[in-house]
Amino acid sequence: MVECLTGKKILIKGNYAIANAAVLAGCQCYFGYPITPQSEIGEFMSGKMQELGRSYVSAESELAAINMTIGACATGAKAMSSSSSCAIALMQEALSYAASDELPVVLVSVMRGGPGLGNIYSSQGDYFQTTKGGGNGDYKLIALAPSTVQECVDLTYKAFYLAHKYKNPTVLLADGLLGQMMAPVEFKPYPYPEIDNSEWALTGAKGRNSRIIRSYAPLADEQCVFLEKLFNKYKQIEENETEWEEIGTEDADIVLVSFGSTFRNIKTAAKICRQKGLKVGVFRPITLYPFPHKRLNELADRVKKIISVEVNMGQMINDIKLSVDGKVPVELIHKPVGAPPAPEDIAAQVEELA
Amino acid sequence: MEKDFIIAGFGGQGVLLAGEVLANGFMIDDKMVTWYPSYGAEMRGGTVNCSVVMADEDVSAVQKSQADYIIVLNQASFDKYTSWVRKGGTIIVNSSLANIKKVRDDINYVFVPITQMAQEKLGNIKMSNVLALGILSKVSKLITLSTLEKALKNVIHPHRMNLMPKNIEALKLGYEYDLLPILG
Amino acid sequence: MSVQVFKIPNSLKKDAKYTFCPGCDHGVAVRLVAEVLEEMGLTENAILAASIGCSVTLYDFLNVDALEAPHGRALAEATGIKRARPDKFVFTYQGDGDFASIGLAESMHAALRGEKLSAICINNTTYGMTGGQLGPTTIMGQITTTSPTGRNKEYYGYPIKIAEHIALCDGTAYSARVSLDSVANIKKAKQAIKKAFEVQVKGLGFGFVEILSTCPTNWRMTPEQAHERVKNEMMPVFKPGVYKDITVNNQ
Repeated sequence: MVECLTGKKILIKGNYAIANAAVLAGCQCYFGYPITPQSEIGEFMSGKMQELGRSYVSAESELAAINMTIGACATGAKAMSSSSSCAIALMQEALSYAASDELPVVLVSVMRGGPGLGNIYSSQGDYFQTTKGGGNGDYKLIALAPSTVQECVDLTYKAFYLAHKYKNPTVLLADGLLGQMMAPVEFKPYPYPEIDNSEWALTGAKGRNSRIIRSYAPLADEQCVFLEKLFNKYKQIEENETEWEEIGTEDADIVLVSFGSTFRNIKTAAKICRQKGLKVGVFRPITLYPFPHKRLNELADRVKKIISVEVNMGQMINDIKLSVDGKVPVELIHKPVGAPPAPEDIAAQVEELA
Repeated sequence: MEKDFIIAGFGGQGVLLAGEVLANGFMIDDKMVTWYPSYGAEMRGGTVNCSVVMADEDVSAVQKSQADYIIVLNQASFDKYTSWVRKGGTIIVNSSLANIKKVRDDINYVFVPITQMAQEKLGNIKMSNVLALGILSKVSKLITLSTLEKALKNVIHPHRMNLMPKNIEALKLGYEYDLLPILG
Repeated sequence: MSVQVFKIPNSLKKDAKYTFCPGCDHGVAVRLVAEVLEEMGLTENAILAASIGCSVTLYDFLNVDALEAPHGRALAEATGIKRARPDKFVFTYQGDGDFASIGLAESMHAALRGEKLSAICINNTTYGMTGGQLGPTTIMGQITTTSPTGRNKEYYGYPIKIAEHIALCDGTAYSARVSLDSVANIKKAKQAIKKAFEVQVKGLGFGFVEILSTCPTNWRMTPEQAHERVKNEMMPVFKPGVYKDITVNNQ
């Protein structure tokens, strides 16, 4: 098992990188239930949290795990759970509660094949699950999508920060490829300020009125006021936290868009296309919510075509279409599940679509 | 430059560990590198493999369907991965557990009785994986024995450093495979 | 000379609006919980994981910090609270549907893990808030809105005896069933709640009390008839008693 803070590059699996980063971010409680391809996170935590005198619980189910996380977060603690696809599905009710309760839940979602039990291979089939939600009511989860193992570290830090800054459940959306692969990584100290939670955390009603964290608003008007307030917060998140990466878009006729581990392959595909004389750029939403709608809309003013490259049947493409609002055609290159499409295959399909 | 490696064999032959040592070596040499395993249900009793990609710049893709160097430690992996070797590439075959048979003429075959050497020269067939890395070092010239030694130190658990001398011996034995009289 | 013989515990909100039905034993149970919190000096250090059902309104009455859990998940959220803040007194107050039907896994596993938590479960043999449907504790023959001809084993199976099941869990320090049908039993109930709280404070394990309670509205009975039913129909099936107490020898 790796050291917490190494100060040098080490070769590490994505899952361990996420877990170690969570420890360095100050995560005090981890609650989880095993599921491939993310079980290493719980395995790492079981040893490390005990060693550090922090909390680890092998929960009886993902239902219990995410609700334990909510309980810990309600006291202001940094707490997290991690799981995968079909088991994240089990957690949707609690995520809706956490959004409504405005609690800083951090959830790591390492995507595998679906629907149903699906399979254990990498997939990006839970873009909808993460960004559109399976829970009831109007709510948003902040969603960060790392594309490399180093980013698994950096965005785990950021997930804890944003969750606490906005009191909003935050998902780190990785996939089986990122979780299982190894790459050199550097662990730097947690770079964000600690957020004061003394105004809302449940610590016992000593010397103050008791606090209730709840999502139950018996009166219709109360719920209207609450939702307006909640969505004002989302607007702030959209203004302040939308993050993306783009390469070679300045002169591009075609822009390839991918999130997560697929980005590596479209970068390579774009290079191949450029060698063939096609002006191709790449774009990657780092935050899936908030989605970089505005920037994509700007790009649509000067590119001829946008192509979404995904490992699913086409999910993010819907958000891209919303972004460009009919200005340019939006096409899909995809694989249903498994490894991202090979760069040569992507390049060949781009040529056909160009 | 970008080079792709696959190591494959039975579960228990240490192929994932060998890949991890190789990837650590490339990291030590300041290359870009990724390692990717077969995992989950595949690991239960069947064949195991991992792929390592080394590049001067960004790794172009983590999972590929071709490789420049493939080490196969058993017959099943030999059968499966022969077609994966890139034209002009090399397959290193553990002839202790696979038949010496060439079906392609556009790739290089290196047959070495890896398990037998590990048993007879090192007294431990579990050294087969590291021995194979020694062979790869010699054949590919892409990584040195001294880098692989350093990489082993990264991978072997601090409490088990007593295993280092034997592992270094295995690396050297693999590197010198062609100097030894090969049986069979 | 005047002697104070009655006072509202500080743990109870003075301005709370009473929302339970006439004759419902929730009112008595809430009062007992409030008294024990106050007497043990726990109010300011307590965090409640609230449940779903009529029991949810507990946080409207108590001056304690509270987190509202989804249906059945109170003991999972309580586990999270306690693991994050082991110095706090953490408890749940749930109905039988919440504790022993939808939340049975969470309840049993909190007990099996020996979480330092205290749980109160109100058993009124029905789903009260939704209008009196068959629940996990509906007794054989009982008519409810979803067992119109009465509970029978062929169609509905059997009710769960919660206190006995929780007593079987190795992490349980205390498990008892009490009734609120008489003054004498109310006094016993208060002692049981106190014990279930004490085992947490002493760090001994999971403390549990099942409280047999009335639901006059859904039983279609007067308060008096309802208490007669507790005595004559429920107590023979759900026998009051201490099923586990690790603080007493010869258990």
